[in-house]
Amino acid sequence: MGWLALVPLTSFFAAFALLLRGGPPLSVSVPWVPSLGVDLGVHLDGLALLMVLLITGVGACVFVYAAGYMQGESGRRRLALVLLLFMTAMLGCVTADNLLVVFACWEITSITSFLLVGFHHEEESSRKSALQALLVTTGGGLALLAGVVLLGNMAGTYSIQELLRTAPAWREQPLRDVALLCVIVGAFSKSAQLPFHFWLPNAMAAPTPVSAYLHSATMVKLGVYLLARMDAAFDGTPFWGFTLMSCGGLTSAWAVLQTLRERDLKRILAWSTVSALGTMVMLIGLPGDDSALAVAAFVLAHALYKAPLFFVAGNVDHSTGTRNIDHLAGLAPRMPWTAAAALLAAASMSGFPMSFGYLAKELTNVAKKEGGLYTWIGHSSVLASAITVAVAAIAAIRIFWHRGGAVVPGHVHEVGWSMRLPPLLIASVGILFGVRPRLADPLIGAAAEAMHPLYDFAAASATARAEPGWTALLVALTLGVGVFLAWDRLHDALGKVELPSVLRLADWYERLLRGIPAAARGVTGLLQRGALTGYVTSLVGFVVVVLGAVTWALLGQRGVAVEVSPGGAPWGKDLGVLGAAVVLSVGAVAACLVRDSFVLLLSSGLVGMACALLFLFLGAPDLAFTQFGVEVAFVVVVASTLLRLRRMDARPSAPQRRLPRIVLSTSLGVLVTALLLVALGAPTFDPEVAAFFAEHSVEDAHGRNVVNVLLVDFRAFDTLGEIVVVLVSFLATLPLFQALRVRGGEPS
Amino acid sequence: MTSRALLLDVVVRGLHPFMIFVSVMLLLRGHDAPGGGFIGGLVAVAATALLTVARGHRQALARLPLAPVPLAALGALLSLGSGVPALWVGEPFLTHLWVEAPVGPWLVPLSTVHLFDVGVYATVWGALGGLAAAIIAVDEEGAA
Repeated sequence: MGWLALVPLTSFFAAFALLLRGGPPLSVSVPWVPSLGVDLGVHLDGLALLMVLLITGVGACVFVYAAGYMQGESGRRRLALVLLLFMTAMLGCVTADNLLVVFACWEITSITSFLLVGFHHEEESSRKSALQALLVTTGGGLALLAGVVLLGNMAGTYSIQELLRTAPAWREQPLRDVALLCVIVGAFSKSAQLPFHFWLPNAMAAPTPVSAYLHSATMVKLGVYLLARMDAAFDGTPFWGFTLMSCGGLTSAWAVLQTLRERDLKRILAWSTVSALGTMVMLIGLPGDDSALAVAAFVLAHALYKAPLFFVAGNVDHSTGTRNIDHLAGLAPRMPWTAAAALLAAASMSGFPMSFGYLAKELTNVAKKEGGLYTWIGHSSVLASAITVAVAAIAAIRIFWHRGGAVVPGHVHEVGWSMRLPPLLIASVGILFGVRPRLADPLIGAAAEAMHPLYDFAAASATARAEPGWTALLVALTLGVGVFLAWDRLHDALGKVELPSVLRLADWYERLLRGIPAAARGVTGLLQRGALTGYVTSLVGFVVVVLGAVTWALLGQRGVAVEVSPGGAPWGKDLGVLGAAVVLSVGAVAACLVRDSFVLLLSSGLVGMACALLFLFLGAPDLAFTQFGVEVAFVVVVASTLLRLRRMDARPSAPQRRLPRIVLSTSLGVLVTALLLVALGAPTFDPEVAAFFAEHSVEDAHGRNVVNVLLVDFRAFDTLGEIVVVLVSFLATLPLFQALRVRGGEPS
Repeated sequence: MTSRALLLDVVVRGLHPFMIFVSVMLLLRGHDAPGGGFIGGLVAVAATALLTVARGHRQALARLPLAPVPLAALGALLSLGSGVPALWVGEPFLTHLWVEAPVGPWLVPLSTVHLFDVGVYATVWGALGGLAAAIIAVDEEGAA
């Protein structure tokens, strides 16, 4: 699968050429779903290009590396396929201009990440970690969708560039902070910020090429990318700045402490990634333009040192069979190439001069100083960078040069070239950019200008170089060496501190997962009580509430208007109507008084028949016939069911209280009456419609029965839909009764 | 069979064919006078339900032109199909066409509308009749 590296490589060079060309950002747009305002627009500015270069550059290395790492494993085609899919989605996410397209690609990266973390699906822990990553990131994705829709509604466009350009016009709307919160939750879940950070270390169940690619260099930076994109519009709003700075700073400090609790090299690197992401988020939150350059530099530097370190961890794992730092020591003579790569990457990670990490750190310090960071975040970030230095030293010095108690087994040997070259190559670029900063300038400069269009890049980089922050650097290095030397003691000390479960977010995640089925059981138990009277009560109660609201609203609007139409109809007709009304009343009163269910059915049948009579005398024979037919069939069917119930001697399972039922049924009756009285006064009936049908019925449809012509011709499509509904409900209920019959037929 | 059911049996024996006849009449005259596929179908359903009560669902279903599911499905297909000819002559779906067919000395107006109404009739009869028979049959065999 190594040749697949050619795919990202071509995109890499294309993006590189675009970067060298300079000039205004490349923007192309094709309408996709015009009715939703979704365009397949591509906007390639400096920030997008930086991400594209990272995705394709690291991606090419990952494909080469995976070819060696997965050699002989059965699932490597699957891995290559999902990786390609992931890469495509990533590219779509960082180049798309439409927020909805960004969201769609964002979700695809979550799903492919799920498939990749759960690559070893035979192992339960792997599946669990994959599910956790999926639930956390797609849960955040839902919040992001809500935020995107809110933003789109507020700004009237889903185009990011348009949104940013018109930001001053719409960003004072009251819902802005809600939209911002949604977007922030989405970004935080993706970029593993507190309180969603716990999925990332667990995602280390993935094969190492995946960890190097998704969980250090690219996917986890999507959240950072999105926040950086939006920063120009919200920079300076208090909510945005406060949330990003405090959450980012807190995550950075918290995660770096967690590294001290781990022994697994990959998990140590994962926690330090969480910490780095926290720093990036904090930098974005800083007010002012200075932070943009620092963010761009840090994103680049982090990818250039963290991806090689993951590769190194994979190499060590591959040849020794363990990632536990207790069992690893003095590997340098056996694995010289890997050791060299580790050393180069670690130098950049700890911020040694002449490395790109040094430059990024310096820009970060300038930004912090200029931006007026809260003091406590400033202190905690010194702590974070000190422990980062120690982590770098663990990954490079302790494993490869330190001669601890561990003995190197004889079979340990250097890995193949396809696994040696990628970490060396990427780490060397990190050093090259440090030695020759001007090479990186166009890259990070363009990205910073894309984040803050008014940003004067040349002036800022001049300031940064004029006053190197030696003090902060020296403090971090000294402290870091101290932490490195005391690592084991610190580890033991921290290991004794057990966090209370209330504070452990992973436990809350577990609780939430267990809570969903419990809540579902509770709701089901409440609604599905298994007693027909219970269902009927809740049904009627609901109808009463809804009808009551409707009637109340209509009464307020119109009032009751009862109009007795003037006479003039034949005398016999009036007599018929009167007779039907008398029968109807007798049936209704009887239905209220009788207790026997069979008689009750007959009384209600009487009411139905009287209604049909009424229709007949009022000049609606079709309606009357229908009513007759329905009533006969209904009474026959229900009567036979009642007979069976009686034979089974079925009784209500619990004694019924009469009063609530009387109240409920009386209020339903009163409401329906009131609603009908209100409806009679409604001026909704348009006589012209009737006139039209009467006129056109014979002429256009060759029929004198207007009702039937309506059904089969003018509104034939509706009728077709109705009979399909009849058919489908028949097909759905038939098995139910057949099952009853089968069960009833069995001797019990 | 009890003596009470015997009376019902005798009455329904005569009533059933008459009800089916009425239902067909209602169906055929529906376009110009009260009636139509839906009403006719309902009358037929009532006939089937009565027959089920009197003589059991096996006998009642045997008196349907087809088994309930095919009958209902065929009806829906007929109604659906009645809209297709309109497409051939370039009219919108379900625009009904009329022809005057010479039957002996008379010209009988025939239309896709009749096809549509027959479809409605068959669907209602098959679906609701089948359902009524099924509901009543639960009692009948459970008791046996």
